[in-house]
Amino acid sequence: MSQNPNSVAGRSLDRADARLRQDEGLGGALRGFIDRVRSGDLGMLPVAVGLVLISVVFTSLNPVFVAPNNLVNLLFDCATVGIISLGIVCVLMVGEIDLSVGSMSGFASAMTGTLWVQQGWPLPGAILAALAVGALIGALYAVLFNRLGMPSFVATLSGLLAILGMQLYVLGAQGSINLPYDSPLVKFGQTLIMPDWFAYLVALIPGILIIANGLSAMRRRRAAGLSGGSLSLVVIKALVLTVALEVVVWYLNLGRGVPWMFGLFVLLVVGMNYALTRTQWGRSMTAVGGNREAARRAGINVRRIYASAFVLCSTFAALGGILSAARLASASQQAGTGDVNLNAIAAAVIGGTSLFGGRGSAYSALLGIIVIQAIASGLTLLNLSSSLRYMITGGVLAVAVIVDSLARRSRVSHGRA
Amino acid sequence: MTDITGSGPTRGEPVLSLRNVSKNFGAVSALTDIELDVHAGEVVALVGDNGAGKSTLVKILAGVHQASSGTIRFMGREVAMTDPGAALDLGIATVFQDLALCENLDVVANIFLGRELDPWRLDEVAMEVKAWTLLNELAARIPSVREPVASLSGGQRQTVAIARSLLLEPKLIMLDEPTAALGVAQTAEVLNLIERVRDRGLGVIVISHNMEDVRAVADRIVVLRLGRNNGVFTPESSNHELIAAITGATENAVSRRAAAHAAAQEGGLA
Repeated sequence: MSQNPNSVAGRSLDRADARLRQDEGLGGALRGFIDRVRSGDLGMLPVAVGLVLISVVFTSLNPVFVAPNNLVNLLFDCATVGIISLGIVCVLMVGEIDLSVGSMSGFASAMTGTLWVQQGWPLPGAILAALAVGALIGALYAVLFNRLGMPSFVATLSGLLAILGMQLYVLGAQGSINLPYDSPLVKFGQTLIMPDWFAYLVALIPGILIIANGLSAMRRRRAAGLSGGSLSLVVIKALVLTVALEVVVWYLNLGRGVPWMFGLFVLLVVGMNYALTRTQWGRSMTAVGGNREAARRAGINVRRIYASAFVLCSTFAALGGILSAARLASASQQAGTGDVNLNAIAAAVIGGTSLFGGRGSAYSALLGIIVIQAIASGLTLLNLSSSLRYMITGGVLAVAVIVDSLARRSRVSHGRA
Repeated sequence: MTDITGSGPTRGEPVLSLRNVSKNFGAVSALTDIELDVHAGEVVALVGDNGAGKSTLVKILAGVHQASSGTIRFMGREVAMTDPGAALDLGIATVFQDLALCENLDVVANIFLGRELDPWRLDEVAMEVKAWTLLNELAARIPSVREPVASLSGGQRQTVAIARSLLLEPKLIMLDEPTAALGVAQTAEVLNLIERVRDRGLGVIVISHNMEDVRAVADRIVVLRLGRNNGVFTPESSNHELIAAITGATENAVSRRAAAHAAAQEGGLA
């Protein structure tokens, strides 16, 4: 390595400073992780701990909770609100909020029902129309925010009411439209399951990607005179993840198996994670959420970034609405009302996306919604009334936000923003 | 007052020239009829008291604010900086007084903010190497470029901001109070850097309250007072002349203090 022109005194370029602790190999990675957690950079830790707690408590109260088929149902439910929550991650990243995602999802399901079942449109056309309306409403929020300086909180609060009105108007007097049970949409939302062998195969992909990416990054970093990181760490990470995923798939396959709809959700999460972490757009989103004026002075078109966040959020909300219509085989006045809105926002926050902007991950939608749906499913199995369900879910959300706030305070005092 | 406009060390073509540039914030005229020339290979120091309009002028040239009237010519063409991106694209780089860094991003991300390599598949390795190269050129003491900027000290942040301004190989670089937060060694490094940048044929505008630093590097010293031009000086001009121009009178707080001090000493001797 000392022959490399970029290395300094035999050390790679990024390890040259004498004050830097040389965190190399497995022990170093572990030490770095403990340091991060202590300084308040909790990452996915609270969710992992929360999920274990929830599973233990609910399983001891009612063993059906961990039955494979209950978990399969849980994944079906996760996909719909989870996709809405993915949109919420986008607006939270830039430090804004969209309170109308529930109404938007309800309106999208109503539109799909009306156009497809009542007006006789082809199904793809109806879905595309609903998605387009979602994007349009997002664009409207962007105009209100960028041009008129309307706070997103207020703009989307008025949107919540207005879009709910549109949903009721579209559904008309009868108030609900049943979707045909034998249609591909309803099958997708209720019964379509990956073949066992395919699910096992898909579960291998993340591990393979981690190893491939890890190796190529290591090679390129070494070639450029930077420290490469540890191979054993990458392999262990990939192995642990692969074994965990295969066990989960095996367990789900004891029941009905892995729903295609959940597969779609995970695919969207992975795609969004790539966009947020590996593209210029994602970097700009994080920058705008962290320091709007600094981003502007760096030449970023801040308005366009806000617009992309709002449009994505509303479009994801529309997609989530269409899928929940598929899940329920109906588009009704109740769709998207109640706790859909807050569950979507709570999922993003519980998963670790900050309400204050500039900090978050697409995976927080995935993990957060699993926590929320696990609680909902557990409480339903206990036959608790919805009054208690609301109270308990509210309590969990409060705890999640408290953890976020405390961790944020600790990060600030440890210089981690 | 020594007016030496035109007789200054014109080592090259004029990079930037401002004519009658004014800026109003409502009823307040922050800048009135400002004239300013910067040539290639020249360091122009912009001095003035608080509220003289130095930072406003820098923000106009950086595209953060837009001038209310007047013309700005850059590299011989009349230009309109409508937004910060436009100024950067022209080749005007700015290190702002508040540095304008994103605390939640790491050093590499901040240096390349808005100018990332490979927009659809960020080339983190190339960006990290380039970041280290820039920082090492500045003799920066930053332990790791993968830590968020929030964990850096004031001087380290200053260095990151300067490194960022050099990334695009600008033709004009503006530094708003570049040495205010720096230690002795870093101040010297920044002054060296300013000279290196000048020797490469770039125009440099430096804002500073530190007359020692200003004299050390500036080819010309432009004084602003209450938003107007108030004379152009050379580093050889006396402190008295400069302070008179900055405060607006030969009779001022600084001269009164000096006079009182001298009188007290004389009284002591008598």
